[in-house]
Amino acid sequence: MKILVVEDSPSMRAFLTNLIEQEAMVDLEIFEAESGFEALKLLPHHAFSAILTDINMPDINGLELVSFLKNHGVYRTVPIMVISTEKSEEDRRRAMELGAEDYLVKPFQERDLLEKLRKLLGVTT
Amino acid sequence: MEKEEERARREFTSEAEELLESFAVDLAELDEKRGTVSPAIINDIFRAIHSLKGLAGMLGFTGLATLTHQLEDLLDRLRLGKVQVSSELLALLLDCHAELIRMVSAASSGAETGERREILERIERAAAGDPTGKKADLLAGLDLDAQTRKSLTEYEEYRLQENVRIGRSIFSLTVQYDFLDFDEKLRALTARLNAEGEVISTLPTAAGAGIGFRLLVGALLSGKELVALSPEAQVRLLQSAPEPRSPDGEEGLASIRSLSQNVRVDISRLDNVMDVVGELILEKARLDELIAVSGSSLDRRTARELGRISGDLERRLNQLRRAIVDLRMVPISQLYTRVGRAARKAAEELGKEIELLTAGGETELDKVMIEELADPLMHVVRNAIDHGIETSEKRVAAGKPVKGEVRIRAYQQGSFVIIDISDDGEGIDVESVRRSAVRSNLIGQDEVVDFERARELIFSPGLSTSEAVSEVSGRGVGLDVVRKNIHELKGSIEVLSDRGSGTTIRLTLPITLAILHALLVRVGNETFALPLTSISEVVKIQEKEITTVEGREILALRDAEIPLLRLSDAYGVEASSQNGRKFVAVVRLGDRLAGLVLDEVVRQQEVVIRAVGNRIRGIPGIAGATEIGKNQIALVVDVASLVSGLAEARTARRESRTAVSRR
Repeated sequence: MKILVVEDSPSMRAFLTNLIEQEAMVDLEIFEAESGFEALKLLPHHAFSAILTDINMPDINGLELVSFLKNHGVYRTVPIMVISTEKSEEDRRRAMELGAEDYLVKPFQERDLLEKLRKLLGVTT
Repeated sequence: MEKEEERARREFTSEAEELLESFAVDLAELDEKRGTVSPAIINDIFRAIHSLKGLAGMLGFTGLATLTHQLEDLLDRLRLGKVQVSSELLALLLDCHAELIRMVSAASSGAETGERREILERIERAAAGDPTGKKADLLAGLDLDAQTRKSLTEYEEYRLQENVRIGRSIFSLTVQYDFLDFDEKLRALTARLNAEGEVISTLPTAAGAGIGFRLLVGALLSGKELVALSPEAQVRLLQSAPEPRSPDGEEGLASIRSLSQNVRVDISRLDNVMDVVGELILEKARLDELIAVSGSSLDRRTARELGRISGDLERRLNQLRRAIVDLRMVPISQLYTRVGRAARKAAEELGKEIELLTAGGETELDKVMIEELADPLMHVVRNAIDHGIETSEKRVAAGKPVKGEVRIRAYQQGSFVIIDISDDGEGIDVESVRRSAVRSNLIGQDEVVDFERARELIFSPGLSTSEAVSEVSGRGVGLDVVRKNIHELKGSIEVLSDRGSGTTIRLTLPITLAILHALLVRVGNETFALPLTSISEVVKIQEKEITTVEGREILALRDAEIPLLRLSDAYGVEASSQNGRKFVAVVRLGDRLAGLVLDEVVRQQEVVIRAVGNRIRGIPGIAGATEIGKNQIALVVDVASLVSGLAEARTARRESRTAVSRR
């Protein structure tokens, strides 16, 4: 399964991918995008099983990305989890309204991330 | 897992430093422009702190997370217009920046420090001030579809309101691009629009094979002007400006050109450039060789011209090399901050009061060197506090101020940087060193130790002069490790203290490891490169001028007797000289002189040191290898370790002599 991690902070991105890679419950291939633009560029080339995206990013933000995906004929079915800090409650609410499947609040417990990711992928343990 | 964490911490530090740097640059602009600052700058600051907070939280730096959390809150209110820019706020932000730097460097060394209550309270007060109530919804009159509106973040919504409030027209632009180059094209369009107004949001939309975007733009432009600016877009006016172009409506939308003149570069890229320069220097050496060989067959004019070109080339290459070396230089004050923290911590743990004084913070060293120097320097300072500075009671009894003093002074000397770490303690306690050495089985029960010997012994592995091994200096990690580290940096470490008057440890380090001005010398059939900077003179002698005193070869030179080391002995090479003629390269390290005996001086040359292969790695006294001409390799002599090896050899020889006489 392929998943996409969209996050502009390189160390946060590395942190996320490492965590997921280490604890991968199934055979996962992780793709990274450092901006919304990059995510858009990757989309046509891979069938992602899930997308994890930060909200606060340059170029296009996470909400815009969710909005795009959820209104797209092909990508609307890809489950999305937005990741944001506890402050951005309003933004989180909007993400859910736009159709994001789940959200994760930074800082999060490793366990929570993996559990939510599992749910997102429809993998049962 | 441990390694993983370390790596994560390293990545964190590098990113955090970058974020803080951009924070500093933005703060400077904020300070300069005050009320007229572009909202993008404030948003940038917010984003930097936001990212930092996320990182700190994930890596469990709670102090840092708390501070950034509070600060983010304040900045969020600032960008949403709920707090205004003021001198007070700027001062607070600057203080926060300083505090963050302190905390990040603490976190990077794994020693998390807590946040300061006082600064948190100031942030809280600033954030609470000026609670402008929720503004009327200015977007009611805007012809905006629900989907677009929902995709706006809170901040974007606020910016949209602000654009309406200051009387800009709001446009919706729709563009379609190819998947291949949409980012470039969109960035170009956004830049053009931002120069005239503000791109508030960018919403991607599906568009057949390509990709579409809907941009919300606020600008004091007519529809026609906007179309001219973005010919590829479909433009729709959502709300026109209430009145045409008022100059004061232009509320602080400064140019989006970056004010920063700095570029951050990965040091490995500089290494690459330096490698190329190294190759060029080699090429130049080959050229010179060729000129030398074919000298006689050339006509005078050509020979002279070639000589001139070669000279020019050399000058330019030197300029280039210096420029690159210069790029790698950072002030040593970077280290002082870290060391200061470690010192305070050590003093606290040991229950000692100390004052750390630093000087020469502007002295510059290679960035790589600075990084490698951090641990050894911290260790020497901790060592000074632990072993050098006496307990408060002892100090009072000796009539000294209670507060012990540790001074770090750095200065440049030629192409070396010297760092002196001095304490005002009681100096090296010879008897205590002797006892420890006996206890650690380094010397025999009855061996006599004089001051000189004690100075050497403190660098022995496994020696601790404190009666009990203390937490601070660490178990079994002593000055021997520091010495090893310093030697690896092609530097030297010496103890300069006199009896009973504090201790000074002197570190002598080359400014850079990247390139070397060398004297090529021949011993037998081998060519060696001696760093020119460590040579004070070269003298021609006759073999018979070398005398032997107490089994050590020395050379009488003017008033001094210089201990000699034959490079042929040191590296096991068969020496060969004509008519007993020899050369001695007199090297100076700190206040110590020594002579290296060699067969012949070849020439001076700039060399690029390359790491040596496994076969000869670890031979003491070899710093690396260098190519000095076509297929010719010279070993680069590591003078510092060779000469400190001389001291060791001296004691070793003394022991072997005893053994012989016993027989």
